[in-house]
Amino acid sequence: MSLEHPAPSPPADTTRGRARLVGLAAALAIASTLSACGGGGASGGSDSASAGTAAGSGAASGSATPVRGGTIRYGHEQEPPCLTGGWVQEAYIDRQLLDSLVAQEKGGKIVPWLATSWKVSKDQRTWTFTLKPGIRFTDGTPLDAAAVAKNFSYWLDPRTGNSTVQSYIGGYYASSRALDATTLQLDLKKPYSPLLSSLSQAYFGIVSPQTLASGADAVCTAPVGSGPFILQKWNRGQNLTFVRNPSYDSAPANAKHQGPAYVDGIVWKFLGDQTVRYGSLTNHQSDVIYDVPTVDWQEAKARFEVQQYITPGTPVRLSLNTSRAPFDDVAVRRAFAYATDRANGVKSAFNGVIPYNGNGALSQSTPDYDASLANAYAYDPGRANSLLDAAGWSAKDGAGYRTKNGRELTVKLVYPAGSVITSEGVTLLQNIQQQAKQVGFHVDLVPATPSETFSGRYSTPDSYDAQPWYWTSPNAGVLYIVWRQNLKDSPNGNNESFYNNPELDRTIAAANSTLDPAKQKQLYARAQQIIVAEAAVVGLYTQTTSLAIDRRLRDVWLEDSQGEPVFSDAYFAR
Amino acid sequence: MSARGVAVRLLGAIGVLWAAATFTFFVQTLLPGDRATLILNQESGQTIKRTASELAPINAKYGFDDSIVGQYLHYLGGLARGDLGSSYQLHEPVARIIGDQIGPTIVLTVTALLFAWAISLVLTIATAKRGRVRSTLGSGFETIAAGLPHYWLGVVLLVVFAIDLKWFPVEGETSLSGLVLPALTLGIPLAGFIGQVTRDEFEKVLDQPFVTSARARGMGDLGVRTRHALRHAVLPGITLSGWALGALFSGAVIVESVFARPGIGQVLVSAANARDIPLVSGVVMLLAFVYVVANLLVDLAYTVVDPRMRTA
Repeated sequence: MSLEHPAPSPPADTTRGRARLVGLAAALAIASTLSACGGGGASGGSDSASAGTAAGSGAASGSATPVRGGTIRYGHEQEPPCLTGGWVQEAYIDRQLLDSLVAQEKGGKIVPWLATSWKVSKDQRTWTFTLKPGIRFTDGTPLDAAAVAKNFSYWLDPRTGNSTVQSYIGGYYASSRALDATTLQLDLKKPYSPLLSSLSQAYFGIVSPQTLASGADAVCTAPVGSGPFILQKWNRGQNLTFVRNPSYDSAPANAKHQGPAYVDGIVWKFLGDQTVRYGSLTNHQSDVIYDVPTVDWQEAKARFEVQQYITPGTPVRLSLNTSRAPFDDVAVRRAFAYATDRANGVKSAFNGVIPYNGNGALSQSTPDYDASLANAYAYDPGRANSLLDAAGWSAKDGAGYRTKNGRELTVKLVYPAGSVITSEGVTLLQNIQQQAKQVGFHVDLVPATPSETFSGRYSTPDSYDAQPWYWTSPNAGVLYIVWRQNLKDSPNGNNESFYNNPELDRTIAAANSTLDPAKQKQLYARAQQIIVAEAAVVGLYTQTTSLAIDRRLRDVWLEDSQGEPVFSDAYFAR
Repeated sequence: MSARGVAVRLLGAIGVLWAAATFTFFVQTLLPGDRATLILNQESGQTIKRTASELAPINAKYGFDDSIVGQYLHYLGGLARGDLGSSYQLHEPVARIIGDQIGPTIVLTVTALLFAWAISLVLTIATAKRGRVRSTLGSGFETIAAGLPHYWLGVVLLVVFAIDLKWFPVEGETSLSGLVLPALTLGIPLAGFIGQVTRDEFEKVLDQPFVTSARARGMGDLGVRTRHALRHAVLPGITLSGWALGALFSGAVIVESVFARPGIGQVLVSAANARDIPLVSGVVMLLAFVYVVANLLVDLAYTVVDPRMRTA
């Protein structure tokens, strides 16, 4: 599923200290950079030669013929607790180890991968996949239809399962079975049009049944797949090492080449600190890094090949708790949205590198995104004031905050400190706090440690008024995951606004199951309009992945379902 | 040390370990939030409230539905048998995880301690009672160094000497050159502490009659300082080192994160975030153990430096 979150990142208090200290260190560093300029230039001769080449993936591809050999040193950020599962951090790793049934291209087009073709029954409830014959897992066992069916059963088993897979297809999946070695039949309870797009994510990567049979610990720490790389060792807290799968022959149709990877392997390092990560690239200890610090973005564009991926799904947005005062009143939610200049706030906090996403329902890169909502709730403090006056929050206390019946207009905004809300994100939240104060909101910013965040301390209706979060997804079907009603007999913890609206629920369900693409687009748009009009969420910015790549390393790319880095086409130019 | 003395020390050590384990267990158990939810959410990257049916298998697997006292006794029982338990998060025995990670941390902390002593001794000998300007510079450095936070110092050293000047590797290296900046990060503040106490003692000793008589015998200034004064002056510093070795292990938590070095510090950070009780407790007990052993070593070191202690 979603987020970038930090399993292994320092506790919140150190992180906050860190933000300040990095600033200080950066200031000190400027002096030394100035004095070291001459020396730095000498060792970076090749860098300055390529300066001026613009960002973008095309820049480095094409010229040379691919060369075999070398090991890619990749500086990643977070280390997940398991190598498979439902977190995007796990998906990044799984993309190296596993193959999925299909792949998604930019714009939402689905292309063959393990499945060479597929067809769907007229009622869209029976899907038949034809698999590429002769594929083997790297443990030697065959990757056939029976193996794929076992994966589906494993994901959807409540005892072992993958809760992100369950979030996507749990409400739709009926059964799966092998008709013969290369034919898989998947039966659904009701039509689910985002099926193929959902399957393209690495959460749906096919693991060897031998791994599945060895139990949850093996699935977590030593998954075996059929992918371009084989896991060699997991040095906890340090890195993962991968070696090339010499008999790889099942790359997706959108890969840059078929057959085994060009490089010998990958050292996948966990470098949580962004100064260290970028420094590791500039000092040639890494060939490619993840999540370029926004302060270094302009320099990185000049010195390296950079790629940016705007993750589809929801944007990073504030979920407003609609189940209690003050945000149980839609007028107050709208007033909060109008009170803050989020467009400029995002621009300044993220140094202009990461886009503002005013539509709180979907990220701008999601197929079926409604662009007409991009400027929803543009900054208008006058309007915020009149909405609050009309809603009865007209008196003010000594501190300048509004009150109603003696109660202060307080918003407890809890944010997961660390890598979900980085220091840039905190700057944005502080701007929001200041601007909301102008119209009389008392925003109480509460940082949550990773352990508090994940243990669900702030997951209940009585624990917060607003909370930023996101959910990456290659299709608008994510609306079903996030906005399905949270009901007693079918709880939905992902509905973080505690917003139950039967009409919205029906609209999304209809969109997910409709057979007509035009009708579907219209229904998803309608759902986004309801969410935005009700101000159940307030859009902030897009979840954004970036890579900076040494120019010697060619043809690294980010795939289109989640922005998972792909290294199987990459090679070192001579 | 008499047999009775040894027995008392041993009991004391066991008491310290028990207290460390107990304290960690209860802090981690009683923190707000649910541990089974944490395990589920971390594996799926969610922060949501979980349903009872989702939580039941996790609670059963780790025994979270037992009473707290029951869980505590179960945990202590394991410890008594020498079983530190298995990490919830890493799915490996705690003893193996610590065994894998302890080496680099020991190398780092011992190197830092050596750096600290080297810096503080050179500084003391070179500046104590050598005229106002020198003395002030020396003690000024010590005061500032002692107050430097590890995180800040680490980032400054990293940015200046690794990233900009490229004299040292930026991350991950366990080679000798990769050890320098992390060890300095830990060693410089400690040098400040050791230097302060050594200097006080050193200055007092230089006023002692036996120093005057040594000088009267015609001994050179450097000889007096290194052979006579120093021997007395290092005693408080050695006492401090016992505490410092434990503190260095704690400091390693931050330094290992900054320099992306392997070690138990990194393990502790992620274990604490995951409320991985067996692993956090294992590391905390290890730290307690280091304090105990270090203080024992300090007692031994005293008898080496100060011959009067040998008969005591």
